[in-house]
Amino acid sequence: MNLKFSGTRALILGGSCGLALSLAEHMINAGLFPILTCRSEKSLDKISDRLKNFRGKYSTARLDFSDRATLASLFEQLDHDLDFLVDFVHGNFESLVASAGEDDVYRYFSENISFRAGVIKQAARIMLAKRRGRCIFISSSAAAKPNPGQGFYAAAKVASEVLYKNLGLELGERGITTVTLRPGYIDEGRGHEYLQSHGKEALEKVPTKKALSVKGFAETIMFYLSESAKDFNAVEIAVDGGLTAGK
Amino acid sequence: MNAEILDKIKEILAVILDVEKQGITAETYIIRSLGAESIDLLEVAVSLNSEFKVNITENDIFLIRLREQITEAEEQGRDTGKYLAKTLPFLPRSRIDEILKDLDGGPVLKVKDIVCYIDRAIK
Repeated sequence: MNLKFSGTRALILGGSCGLALSLAEHMINAGLFPILTCRSEKSLDKISDRLKNFRGKYSTARLDFSDRATLASLFEQLDHDLDFLVDFVHGNFESLVASAGEDDVYRYFSENISFRAGVIKQAARIMLAKRRGRCIFISSSAAAKPNPGQGFYAAAKVASEVLYKNLGLELGERGITTVTLRPGYIDEGRGHEYLQSHGKEALEKVPTKKALSVKGFAETIMFYLSESAKDFNAVEIAVDGGLTAGK
Repeated sequence: MNAEILDKIKEILAVILDVEKQGITAETYIIRSLGAESIDLLEVAVSLNSEFKVNITENDIFLIRLREQITEAEEQGRDTGKYLAKTLPFLPRSRIDEILKDLDGGPVLKVKDIVCYIDRAIK
C-alpha cells in the first residue's frame, strides 16, 4: 500500500527510544520531517548517531516533562508549523498502590499527565490554525490489563488516553484527529528487558505467541498517521496480538 | 475604538463563524447573535494570537468567568462594578455598567470587548 500523508512536519515526543528512531526513519523515507524530542544531551547523541545518514532531514529539540521551561522553548522552535504528533513519552513507576510515596505519586502524575496536557494544548493550537492535524498516543496494554505494581503507570496511561480522545472529540470537526495505540509486548527497551526475564511465560498469554517487532510497530504507526486511516478518531486500538482480548 | 483592530477582528470572526463581515459591528453579540460556541472561541483565540502576536487569556477576553466574578463580588459584599473593573481591567467602566444592565438577555460578550482586550494587550 502506498501511504499518503496530509502534511510533513511531525513532532515525536520521546524521540530517543528505539521505536521512535525506527519511526523517524520510516517518516524520512516517506518524505516527512520528524522533530524528535528528548531529555538529555546523551539522548541527543543517540539520535544523531542512529540517524547519521539522514542529516538535514530531521531535527531535534529538548523537552523534559519535569521542566516547564522546555515546553515553551520547544514550541518557539516549532514556529507554528506542525502536522503530526506521536507521543511515546512515559515515565516508569513501579510500586504497589498501598506503598507508593506520596511525593513520588504527585510528581509522577504531574509529569506524565499535567505536563502532557500542556504539550497537547500547544500542539492542538498550532494544528487548529492550520485546520488539520493528526495525533497518535502510544499507550500500553497495561492501560487495559495492568499487572500488580503497574497501578500508577496504568492510571497515567489511561488519563493520557482520555486527553487525546477528548482532543479528537472536541476538534475532529476542525480536522484534528487522534488515535491511541495500546501495544503489547515489544522486543525493545523496557519490553526487551522484560522479555529477557519473563519471555516464555509472558508470550504464553499472547494468542499469536509473538512479541511485536520494532519495525512492524513503526509501520503500524505510519499507517495510523496516513490518510488511509483518517476515519479512525478518538479511539484506543489494541496492537497486542490479542493479549488483552481474552481472559 | 481602534478601527484597524476592529476590522481585523471582524475578518477573523467572519471566517471562523462563517458569517458576512458586513453584518458584524462593534456592537454585535458574539455568542447571543453570531452563535459562537466554545470551539469557535478557541479558534478565535488562536487566530487573534497569531494575528496580533499577543498572549490571549481566554477566560478574560471572552468574559468566561463574568458571572462567577459577579457572584464573588456579591459574596464578599463588594461593589460589583468596581470588582469587575479590577478583574477585567481592559473594559472601560461605562462598558461594565452596560454589561451589568444586560445580564438577563444572555451572554453579553460583544465584538468591542475583544477590541478593547487586544488594544490593551498591544499597548
